[in-house]
Amino acid sequence: MSHDVLEPARSAPMAPAGAAAPPLLRLAGMGKRFGALQALADVSLELAPGEVHCLLGENGAGKSTLCNLIFGVYAPDGGEMALDGRAYRPAGPADALASRVAMVHQHFSLVPDLSVVDNLLLGQQTRGVLRRRDCADRIADLSARYGLQLSPHARIQDLSIGERQRVEIVKCLMREPRLLVLDEPTAVLLPAEIAALLDVCERVAATGCGILLVTHKLAEIKRVARRATVLRGGRIAARSDHPEQDLDDLVRAMIQRDTSPLRPRERTETPPPAGPSRKPEPALMVDGLTVRDPDGVVRLDRFTLLVEPGEIVAVAGVEGNGQSELGAVLSGLLPATEGRWFASGKELTTAAPRALTAAGVGIVPEDRHAVGCITGMSVAENLFLDRLGRYRRFGLLDRAAMRRDALALMQRFDVRAASPDVTFGGLSGGNQQKAVLARELTLDGLSFLLAAQPTRGLDVGAVEAVYGHIRAACDRGVGVLLISSELDELLAVADRVVVLYRGRVMGQCPADAGHRDRIGAWMAGHTE
Amino acid sequence: MNTVAMTSPWRSALARPAVWISLAAVLGALAFGLLLVALMGVPVADAVEAFAEGAWGSPYAVAASLNRSLAFALVGLGFVLAQRANLTNVGGEGQIAVGGIVATAVALYGGAKDLPAGLSFVLPALAAALAGGLWGAIAGVLKAKVGTNEVISTLMLSFIAVWMVYGSVQSEQLLRQPVSNATTLPESLEIPDPTKIPLLTGDFSMPLHWGLPVGIVLAIVVALVLNHTVLGLRLRAVGLNPLAARRAGMPMVSSVVGVLFAAGALGGLAGAFMLQGEQYSLKTGFSSGYGFDGLVVGLLARGSVTGVIAGSLLFGFLRSGGINMEMSANVPTALVVVIQGLIIVTLAGAAHRLDKKETPR
Amino acid sequence: MTEEMAAVFVGSTLRLAAPLLLSATGELVSERAGVLNMSVEGMMLTGAFAGAVGSWATGSPGLGLLIGLAAVMPVALLQAWLSITLRANQIVTGIGINILALGATTLAYREIFGGRSRETIPGLEKWAPPFLGDIPVFGEAVFRQAWLLYVAVVVILAAAWVMRYTALGLAIHSAGVAPRALDKAGLSVNAVRYGAVLFCGFTSALAGCFLSIGDIHTFTEGMTSGAGYLAIAAVIFGNWKFGRTAGACLLFGAATALQFQLPAMGIEVPGALLIMLPYLLALLAVGGLVGRQTSPAALTQAYVR
Repeated sequence: MSHDVLEPARSAPMAPAGAAAPPLLRLAGMGKRFGALQALADVSLELAPGEVHCLLGENGAGKSTLCNLIFGVYAPDGGEMALDGRAYRPAGPADALASRVAMVHQHFSLVPDLSVVDNLLLGQQTRGVLRRRDCADRIADLSARYGLQLSPHARIQDLSIGERQRVEIVKCLMREPRLLVLDEPTAVLLPAEIAALLDVCERVAATGCGILLVTHKLAEIKRVARRATVLRGGRIAARSDHPEQDLDDLVRAMIQRDTSPLRPRERTETPPPAGPSRKPEPALMVDGLTVRDPDGVVRLDRFTLLVEPGEIVAVAGVEGNGQSELGAVLSGLLPATEGRWFASGKELTTAAPRALTAAGVGIVPEDRHAVGCITGMSVAENLFLDRLGRYRRFGLLDRAAMRRDALALMQRFDVRAASPDVTFGGLSGGNQQKAVLARELTLDGLSFLLAAQPTRGLDVGAVEAVYGHIRAACDRGVGVLLISSELDELLAVADRVVVLYRGRVMGQCPADAGHRDRIGAWMAGHTE
Repeated sequence: MNTVAMTSPWRSALARPAVWISLAAVLGALAFGLLLVALMGVPVADAVEAFAEGAWGSPYAVAASLNRSLAFALVGLGFVLAQRANLTNVGGEGQIAVGGIVATAVALYGGAKDLPAGLSFVLPALAAALAGGLWGAIAGVLKAKVGTNEVISTLMLSFIAVWMVYGSVQSEQLLRQPVSNATTLPESLEIPDPTKIPLLTGDFSMPLHWGLPVGIVLAIVVALVLNHTVLGLRLRAVGLNPLAARRAGMPMVSSVVGVLFAAGALGGLAGAFMLQGEQYSLKTGFSSGYGFDGLVVGLLARGSVTGVIAGSLLFGFLRSGGINMEMSANVPTALVVVIQGLIIVTLAGAAHRLDKKETPR
Repeated sequence: MTEEMAAVFVGSTLRLAAPLLLSATGELVSERAGVLNMSVEGMMLTGAFAGAVGSWATGSPGLGLLIGLAAVMPVALLQAWLSITLRANQIVTGIGINILALGATTLAYREIFGGRSRETIPGLEKWAPPFLGDIPVFGEAVFRQAWLLYVAVVVILAAAWVMRYTALGLAIHSAGVAPRALDKAGLSVNAVRYGAVLFCGFTSALAGCFLSIGDIHTFTEGMTSGAGYLAIAAVIFGNWKFGRTAGACLLFGAATALQFQLPAMGIEVPGALLIMLPYLLALLAVGGLVGRQTSPAALTQAYVR
């Protein structure tokens, strides 16, 4: 892979010219290998005190690995790190913390049934009686200083994701770090919460602490980044000392393509009518679907939607606004509190997953590892997980037939694996998703497909393949409901876009790029 | 890659390091046992001779050992079956006990002795299997409906059942033999001859009964189910990822309850075989140790039926040998218990090196 | 029931519950840290045996107690090493150690005492707290107990306090609920778990010694006869909380005391029913019939970075 270095990385930090102050953090030639995968190679970086440095890259580019090296979770295979000019080689998170390097992870490490205060004391205080009152006072102090609202004695399990993230941030700030690493902090936040977080970043940086902000979202960079570095495939792909101006170049470096890979769909195709001049049943009809969680919070509010055969309808919105619940209900895994839904005219509101399959409903779930596949079983077994009964011969399993059919399916959907008998978990993310798609798209009598976040974690080639198959299914008359937070993909692929916010439909419109701003406003909760 | 040949398991088994490590652990424990014997001042040669005598020294000894192994194997098979669905059944002892109680009751008071030939001993056995199955199914229902950890529930059920045996032979209202004087032992009457399982050879000097071939058949069936049926795949799916299995349309509740029923039924059958094939009357301590030994056989087999067979043979002969060591060479049976404990602890500690993939709960 | 009988009943309950209280407290801490320690039975038995032999050999029950403690700690260390470092199946290791302990103590007992079974050994003295012991009728019967019982009370209170109000308690709780959070906080999950298991060994040793040198002043083969599993049942019934667990132990002690009390009162209840009552109660608890169960989320899961 070539380096597209836009600006030499040796440009001076914020200190006045001629000053010999060493950078806060200096990485030189960092490398890390996991088995056969070279996650990072020859990565060098510099960060000055008080600087907000954005680390960009698509999923799988190595950003999290780099953060884990900085925080001491892993040891690097090569390269050096230096903090304030002195060699920095943490043996574990404890060392990192002792060196006043703190990290807010993507996945929070909080103890759910303890209070905010107790979570903050964990690790802060290693001996003696817990000084809860003092901790609560410190929380109040930090809240005021940085604008982070928190109620000290609330239990973590009762807090929203945004609030839990605040706890994680306060946890870091309590140690008065000199370097704060934030790993994809905005992935699960609303636009308003993102703005608040970036405010906090600025305030923290103003005290002289350096911030390494990891993200793959560009709007954030515009606002706070002093410098930016792009990772691609584990290597430095680009650097910039004025990211705001170089935004396009940075994006290009991130994804290695000039334009969006997906051609907008030609909407001239209409699906063939189902019967002799009779209007076919809608592929999906949802009527007033409401989901209330065990705590009484409404997660999905009177959701109503129609998907015609051959149509692709997209549900857009920041994750956490009811999409997961919608997907779970339509998969038959979560009962709706109110409302009904139908596929091709058959009511499936209380149907078990088996009935859904029989009714021609295919599902590519949001979290394929949790629901869509069994990583410990073979590829063939996964491909036919819902139709194993077909492979019975004289009471015993007909593995030969399974293998034969599996090979055919793998060929058709370009699922690359050494053989149908290898463990499913060994396949790459893209191939796993193609396999799940293969299974769902070859359902007998498929009339409706639910695809939830189908391209999450996939590389560009896999994304194109997935949408290619989905479109092919549409051309055959299948109605598709696509749930995704990748707005660009939705606009290119879908016919219509519906936006969810806090469980409610904010608006619907055709999937034209011209409606982008409107959709963005809906996603943030603004009604027109 | 779909060979079903019966001989290949042996070849592939010998190729796995797990087999050699298990062998090493067993031999090591045995060697340690001999060391203890020497430390106790008993001539090692005497002890070994007594052990061999008791384990396989006579047709009677061989039969006794095999009968013991049969009980262990059935419990172990049940364990391995449930384990495939990621369920840990530690209630083997209780399932044996329940099986014993029901078999005794049906044999003595259920009119079984009057049934035509064959049914007279089959009926109590079937009833025992059913009872054991229900005992296991209780844990299955609790797991499927409430999410109760089956380790705890089967363990508690096991203790309850063992004390139920105690209670049932203490009271004449239940299964105790009529109390004629102060020395009447708390046990049941001897079951009538038609309800005893016939011997293979008809000769009491080698008391192997028809339960043994039945056990062998069951082992084959379990092996087939686990590795060559859709049911086996479904159990595996349910065990590895219940959510995905549910999404793929697999019946969750009936899988969990069903497999624990099956495991319990095997245990109940073991109880029937012990009662109707060997002991012929129900006494306190009927299931003593059998359940736990069978459980350990299951645990150490790590999912393979071959492992169950090997382990149950090992422990069966070990127990028999131990009993004779106490009688002839003055070495307490506790020594065998120590050897068993060592084997278990060693293999448990080495297990995660043997398994490349872990099975977290 | 007469007053004297009631007093005897309460006193017996306390006496029978004491070993349970001790071992259940240790097991509770161990499970709160995420380690299901099924070898409590074996540790108690080892403690009972070592305490008895120690007391017999030295003539001092106090020294016997210390020897009992010293003998159990290696067993606890073994359980910890197997479950935590080697990440072995916690059920297998527990049962294996129980079997090993049963065999080893029986063998050793036969070797040392041979045919001289039932030899009485110097036992722990009884003690009653100053005012409570002087209450007429009840005082003596209820409060004059082997002093180890009062140690047990102190141990339980101390453990509960540590869990609620100290950094150590916070770490133990986190190790069982969210070990990753503890790890990310810079503390060692395995070290905390080792400590919890060793504490369990400590209390189980005391519990075993109570049985042999505190209560019946002798050792019999396999004398724990399932008490260790009862401790586990008590923790479950107690929903992993100290107060409820202690209550469960007292309940189980009462059920055992009733076995002797009821016949003395002329009430015929099958002994089997009373003996199995604790297990039945625990089963009802896990079956969700006495409220929702909240077991530590990471219980039995070995922690891998």
